[in-house]
Amino acid sequence: MGIFFDPEVWGIAWPPIRSGILITLALALASIAAGTAAGFALSLARTLPVRRLAAAIVVYSDAFRAFPPLVLLVVLYFAAPFAGIELSGFAASFLALALVLAASAEEIFWAGLTSVRRGQWEAALSTGMSRAATLRRVILPQAVRLTIPPLTNRAIATGKNTALASVVAVPEVLNQAASIQAQTASPAPLLLAAVVYVALFLPLVRLGRWLEDRFPSP
Amino acid sequence: MALPVLELRGIGKAFDGVPALKGIDLSVHEGELVALIGPSGSGKSTLLRCCNRLTEPDGGAVRFGGRPAPSGGRALAEARRRMGMVFQAFNLYPHLTALENAALAPRRAAGLSRKAAEQAAREALSRVGLADRADARPDALSGGQQQRVAIARALALRPRILLLDEPTSALDPELVGSVLDVIGSLKADGVAMLIATHEIAFAREAADRIVFLAEGRILESGPPEEVLDRPRSARLRSFLRRL
Repeated sequence: MGIFFDPEVWGIAWPPIRSGILITLALALASIAAGTAAGFALSLARTLPVRRLAAAIVVYSDAFRAFPPLVLLVVLYFAAPFAGIELSGFAASFLALALVLAASAEEIFWAGLTSVRRGQWEAALSTGMSRAATLRRVILPQAVRLTIPPLTNRAIATGKNTALASVVAVPEVLNQAASIQAQTASPAPLLLAAVVYVALFLPLVRLGRWLEDRFPSP
Repeated sequence: MALPVLELRGIGKAFDGVPALKGIDLSVHEGELVALIGPSGSGKSTLLRCCNRLTEPDGGAVRFGGRPAPSGGRALAEARRRMGMVFQAFNLYPHLTALENAALAPRRAAGLSRKAAEQAAREALSRVGLADRADARPDALSGGQQQRVAIARALALRPRILLLDEPTSALDPELVGSVLDVIGSLKADGVAMLIATHEIAFAREAADRIVFLAEGRILESGPPEEVLDRPRSARLRSFLRRL
């Protein structure tokens, strides 16, 4: 057991892992924010009466929910340069995670929007409210309640998937731990990384549980 | 002679090729209560919804306040605001209180200040006898109270006419009376109304005119005693017998 918790190696591993935490958090926050915002915008665009646009959004959403994030990431990082697109490891990871999250978030928001009964639209429109005001004041407040629990779960998954960035040399937590593990020939840095991941994401998981209790699905 | 508030000329509508309305001519004058009766599927709801274009008619013309009713854009939204609509299923906003339900459109459609919108909503809630339930959410109200809030939501916009689509059909029998009482009091205040209803006794008592609709056509129309007591068509006789 001692080899996993060697205090000397933990001491060596901590400073680089600590700097990796910042990168993990930055990558997680950026891709969660961008992916959620893009998914939200796509779901709103899908409510517009433009059939081709809606069809294109469905194709995007299905395709990117089928794509393993790791495959998307290596394509963006290792294959895109052949098309003249050079992305840093961080940018490729951000893009891959955000694109995949946007696809799921779009579906979640769409499900929320369509779960609100037509009568709600009709009631608001019959009082002379515009479609935009109806969406904002009547439909979205009801839809969002349904989207919060599944959205939290997707956000947590996205946060955890930041570890994938280690394969494209982004110095986030796992990547740092793997380097120290190679240098010291000790598994201890990986254990430290595992502890760090749990410490980072356990609060989010707890938040998700709290939100699910707060906004139970009907 | 009171002026016509709402005039329909030759309104037609088909759904997937199946005709629902076949050339309806109808007008409602200021202060008048017109009751639409007829079997389910006769086109009563569709007719009401064509008035404010929640359903787009295929043909015919709607005039509102003496002018052609607008067919789109801001002008349509404004016309809708002045034609209050009350739905069979209430369609209250479940995330808002009774007061917020009634204040939303005065604020967001009519552009009143928050204070003025709340004032309009409070007045409307007192008119339906629910001033004391202003802070209740719809799920804390009985069906009859919910429908009265829905009426208040329409009244808060000071409409020139109310379109009521079977407002008591979704209610338990013991709650029907409270809603009909409110509608009766609005009639006494001079609010013009076009109401689809199965409450024949109410129509007889409160309506100025009864219009009998069957298979998308107006078969009979006139004062209650004439239409209800001396039906001319076999269709209306059998409809009244089966009630």
